[in-house]
Amino acid sequence: MEQLILLVAVLPLISAVLIQLFDRPLGRSTARFSVAITTLSFLLSAVLLLAALTGEESQSLQLGNSSAILLFDPLGTLLATIILGISLIVHLYSVRYMAEEAAYGQFFVLLDLMTAALLFMVIAGDLITLVIAWYLVGVLLYFLLGQDTRSQTAYRFAFWTLITYRIGDLPLILAAALLYNAYDTWSLTVIFNQIVANPDAHQFLGFSLTDVVAALVGLAAFARSAQFLLHTWLPYTMDGPTPVSALMHAGIVNAGGFLINRFAPVFANSGDVLNMIFIVGLLTAILGSVLMLTQNDIKKALGYSTMGQMGFMIMECGIGAFSLAIYHMFAHGVFKGTMFLSAGSVINNARDNDGIPKDELYTFAVEKQPNKARKPWLLMAAITLAVPLVVLVLAHLLIAEDYFQKQGAVILLFFGWVTGAQLIFATYRMRTQNIWRMVGLSVLSLVVVVLGYVFISHAFDLFLYPDPAFRAQLYTAATIDILRFDVLVAITALIIVSGWGITYYSEQNGYRRQKNKHLWLNFYALISREFYITDIYTRLARLILSISARLNIWMRWL
Amino acid sequence: MPDLMYILLAGIFLPLFPMSMVFNAIFDKVKYAWLRALLIIAWPLVGLLLVLNSDLVIPHWVMTLALGTSLLYALRLLTLREVNQWSGFLATSLWGLLWLTLFQGDSAVLIIWFAIGMSLPLVLLVLLSAFLEKQFGAAYTDLYGGLARTVPRFTAILITVIMAAVATPLFPTFFIMFDMVVETVSVMPLYAMALLLIWLLWSWAGARLVQGLIVGRQSKVKVVDFGGPTIGFYSIVILALAFSGIYMGMVIL
Repeated sequence: MEQLILLVAVLPLISAVLIQLFDRPLGRSTARFSVAITTLSFLLSAVLLLAALTGEESQSLQLGNSSAILLFDPLGTLLATIILGISLIVHLYSVRYMAEEAAYGQFFVLLDLMTAALLFMVIAGDLITLVIAWYLVGVLLYFLLGQDTRSQTAYRFAFWTLITYRIGDLPLILAAALLYNAYDTWSLTVIFNQIVANPDAHQFLGFSLTDVVAALVGLAAFARSAQFLLHTWLPYTMDGPTPVSALMHAGIVNAGGFLINRFAPVFANSGDVLNMIFIVGLLTAILGSVLMLTQNDIKKALGYSTMGQMGFMIMECGIGAFSLAIYHMFAHGVFKGTMFLSAGSVINNARDNDGIPKDELYTFAVEKQPNKARKPWLLMAAITLAVPLVVLVLAHLLIAEDYFQKQGAVILLFFGWVTGAQLIFATYRMRTQNIWRMVGLSVLSLVVVVLGYVFISHAFDLFLYPDPAFRAQLYTAATIDILRFDVLVAITALIIVSGWGITYYSEQNGYRRQKNKHLWLNFYALISREFYITDIYTRLARLILSISARLNIWMRWL
Repeated sequence: MPDLMYILLAGIFLPLFPMSMVFNAIFDKVKYAWLRALLIIAWPLVGLLLVLNSDLVIPHWVMTLALGTSLLYALRLLTLREVNQWSGFLATSLWGLLWLTLFQGDSAVLIIWFAIGMSLPLVLLVLLSAFLEKQFGAAYTDLYGGLARTVPRFTAILITVIMAAVATPLFPTFFIMFDMVVETVSVMPLYAMALLLIWLLWSWAGARLVQGLIVGRQSKVKVVDFGGPTIGFYSIVILALAFSGIYMGMVIL
């Protein structure tokens, strides 16, 4: 088994080295070679995953006399398989997509190195390997995004990614250094065991070390997963090749969720930090979605969509649903990867056939023509609000009766309810001859999605965190005061329902407040300028550069 | 010799501002690549020999000044466009940090290895800069650009060397910086923060240098790319550097 672990990790590295050495003699065959090696690595990791699923104990492998440890626990094994699966698809896609590129071989070298770095990141069993892999992912992504060396724009935005990732590396390095000083070991397993045994054993600057480390790890995750204020790089990095965008949106950007999961024993003892993570995730989810809706550039809209999804993923960690974040990471990865990789075909199809059928969905979504003939709105409102709630509650009751005792679960249900209600509400507004058929189909798809999500996320929970006490500890750590929680849920529900009510009322009566028009315009301007955050950062960067230049002039370049 | 005078003298070789300007003034005047390379290797070693062979007790303010010097040169590095000058400033920023290892009382052999590990990538960069001067007449960023299309083999080496110089894993400077952060974070957290800021500025400067040189359309000037033996030589040195970095990491961490 040890040889298998080592092989999975080093195969992409070997592929990169061999392609670099034999790029010229191999010619275009480099791609096929790289695909073959990635396939082999994927199959081997699938074998390891199968072994883990059938109850095989976690495996770890120390590399020689060094502190480097490879850890194949459920989290590492699962993510290694997912990474290799996505990487294999990207490899296959790139064989023809990148064929015209001058640096064809070099692209596969970088792709293999990136796969290796991501693999080492998820199977790192020690802090040094984790920091090195974490750092290298940023550097390699910079060069992958800048694959077209003629494009200044591609490099400009690749640089934004690099510098944000480097900012995110720093807290992780600090966290690693603090943990080493406190526990005198680099091994993650040993450190986590000691933290579980005595979470408050160490202090740093008067704070609990566990809280400080959790906050630092959280910061590192925020930068990697494009959380609000550290998100500006994501919507702009669309100038890289499509396979790189797919890899980035489907895999790399999810690393924040992985990191928080890897440090789960730390977070289980840092409730305040989990609450902070929840707030940041929530803010990112809302702002990312708002920014997505207001973009007129489809690529930027996709970028902001990923940002919103990352917000949800981080938010899930913040409520203690760690394994759900991993499932979200996987589901979003597959979904977004498919979107990017099929973009070319969609464009081609549109070129061949621009006669988009004017069906119900088209008239509703593009021509913005809501249904004129309505059913009684009270009945529809009741269905809109009640059906998703019933579906969600029943689905969750199937897996655990005490599910609703956890605040995190209630928050998830709440979001599920809002989403489901929004779906039926939108269906109702569509122009259709048979509204009941459409609503029926919507409810059916909602049931399928909810059941799928509930059972798969439960399976992830059992696989990643088999100890029920630890799962409960994660939820408990994320809990806030019950009164405050109830008030927050009530206020949010009220805001959402009022929003629906106002929208319905306005559209029913054709009523628009003229006096608020300028306010809405200003709000729209603020959003369309992305809250001026990129402008502020650009100004800040220019200020630093001008200080640097002035200092050089004053000191006569010596 | 009084301690202060000794520190001032050593501060020329292990840069402490404003004595750090001496090295950059001399480095700027040197026109031969081999002499620049020699200067980069020898300069910090002279400083280390001066300090290690004395009874000097390094006062705390020297550490603060050394960190300040390193930060100052890292900041100034951002707007440099000439590759040799860039190498000189980065060397100044790197060597200033050797005062920290001296203060921490690391072994003399280890500190000398630190100095060599920090300087070697810069030696390679100076040699690569000589290639640019020979081919284009100057080693400037944003002047001709497009090296990735014009001289792809040279560019691959150049990028790796710049990455090694700005403390990217698995090169020695990465492990040295990591070790310094580990040593300082619990006892002097502000110093650790300063170290991380310096590290970040190096990355920024490195990316600006890379972009200024490699990005753009293919040059119309006829340029000969590196041949097989030259590539082989640089690859072996870079590999040796990476392995020595890993070894250094195993020893110090």
